Amino acid sequence: MLRAALPLVLILPSAMAQSTRTSAPPPDLTGVYQPIASGTILPGGLKHSGSPEQVPLTPAALEQMKTVNLKDDPGKVCAPIGPFRMMARESTKIELLPESSMIVMLFEDLSRGLMRTIYMKRGHPEKPELKWMGDSIGRWEGDTLLIDTTGLNDRTWLNDAGAQHSDALHLIERIRPVFGGKYLEYRMMAEDPKALTRPYTYTRYYEKLKTEIMQDTCVDEE
Amino acid sequence: MGKLCAILVIVISTCRAVAAAEPATAVQPAQSDWTGYYALARGKDLAGLKVVSPDLDKVIIAHLQPWAKAKMEATDGVADDTGGVCLPDGIFRNPPFAGRFEWLPATDRVVMVFWELNTAGVRRIYLNRQHPRNLLPTWNGDSVGHWEGDTLVVDTIGFNDKSWLMSGMEPHTEEAHLIERYRRVSNGSMIEVQAVVEDRHALTSAYTYTRYYKKIDGEMPENVCNDDLKIWKDWRNAALKPQLDRAREVK
Repeated sequence: MLRAALPLVLILPSAMAQSTRTSAPPPDLTGVYQPIASGTILPGGLKHSGSPEQVPLTPAALEQMKTVNLKDDPGKVCAPIGPFRMMARESTKIELLPESSMIVMLFEDLSRGLMRTIYMKRGHPEKPELKWMGDSIGRWEGDTLLIDTTGLNDRTWLNDAGAQHSDALHLIERIRPVFGGKYLEYRMMAEDPKALTRPYTYTRYYEKLKTEIMQDTCVDEE
Repeated sequence: MGKLCAILVIVISTCRAVAAAEPATAVQPAQSDWTGYYALARGKDLAGLKVVSPDLDKVIIAHLQPWAKAKMEATDGVADDTGGVCLPDGIFRNPPFAGRFEWLPATDRVVMVFWELNTAGVRRIYLNRQHPRNLLPTWNGDSVGHWEGDTLVVDTIGFNDKSWLMSGMEPHTEEAHLIERYRRVSNGSMIEVQAVVEDRHALTSAYTYTRYYKKIDGEMPENVCNDDLKIWKDWRNAALKPQLDRAREVK
């Protein structure tokens, strides 16, 4: 068997590990969610905006993208595609499981999404080992879950067109329930001084579903 | 571009429940104490604990019906091992053999996330429903649970017949039925599981085993089955080719 395990790394406190500053308990995000269909507009004009396809690449990154063989897309061989791309996909279905010290995010498309663990009571490791999903820590700002992710390896792509990123990729996500928890407003911001000319943000609205996550078996695309 | 992501669906919304398990009861208040990362206990960690069927392959083989034993002997342990190419291999093999998982309780379910995420995957044990009628077979089956005092009783059916009961390539059918009783022991530092496996079409009688999982003081590391994508792709395609060929013939 060919298995790759990335060992745990040193856990250090940081400002990210601070507990919520408000006295109200954070919202319960437990549930199964999926992005609303493209083109849907929720009350108040809320709708998706931005896309990984629109990332502002540096000239070097643009040149690099031209050399990429799209057949090498990790997503085509059922390998992880990374949070930046995964969270924007309309077909992505997630299950959120808040626990006392972490929030676990499970993807129905397990092969491409894997799982994410957002640690709520620690900071980033001082010298993180680079991982497919990076190292995610979170804290509450009122009713908004703020997730900070670093330590991503450079093997995933930013989009379907093959835009590359470096291991300096830094993701900041904000998740908050809207309309009484029927939806999640999800904002993703990526910054990578080696690949992007400026930080880039997209927004998605996830609808809470009453269905269960299914078991899937990913089959490579040909 | 042919996207072929075969989703094996468990339809639950409109299905009448079938009575394979007792009615679900409320989640035990102390269940959050179970939350954590566990690994199969071995060696000195098992001092004072009784492990039933330590040589599980031997036990299972003794229970196989003749056809199942013949199938086992005809199976190629390398070429036919889906887990070897990072595809699912079900939940019979992993827990009693490798068993590393996160135990994540929620209000209406317990989720077990296996460290071998690509092969063993995720188990969801639903506490507020029974098995749906007309289950489509899946690698990990359909699990429902209820509490009997301090013990979580889990009933799982709806398996496909692709996985093995253990590493010895012992087959089972879609009639396989797994009953597990989980409870905390050793002052909460371990989870004990007592398991019974039935399959009237593959086994002469049910077999049982017990295993212990020790709570690990740490985080479950990320695990990508094979992060050499070229090798992964080649191996997976080789393993999947017979399935794809059959699918094309059907079309």
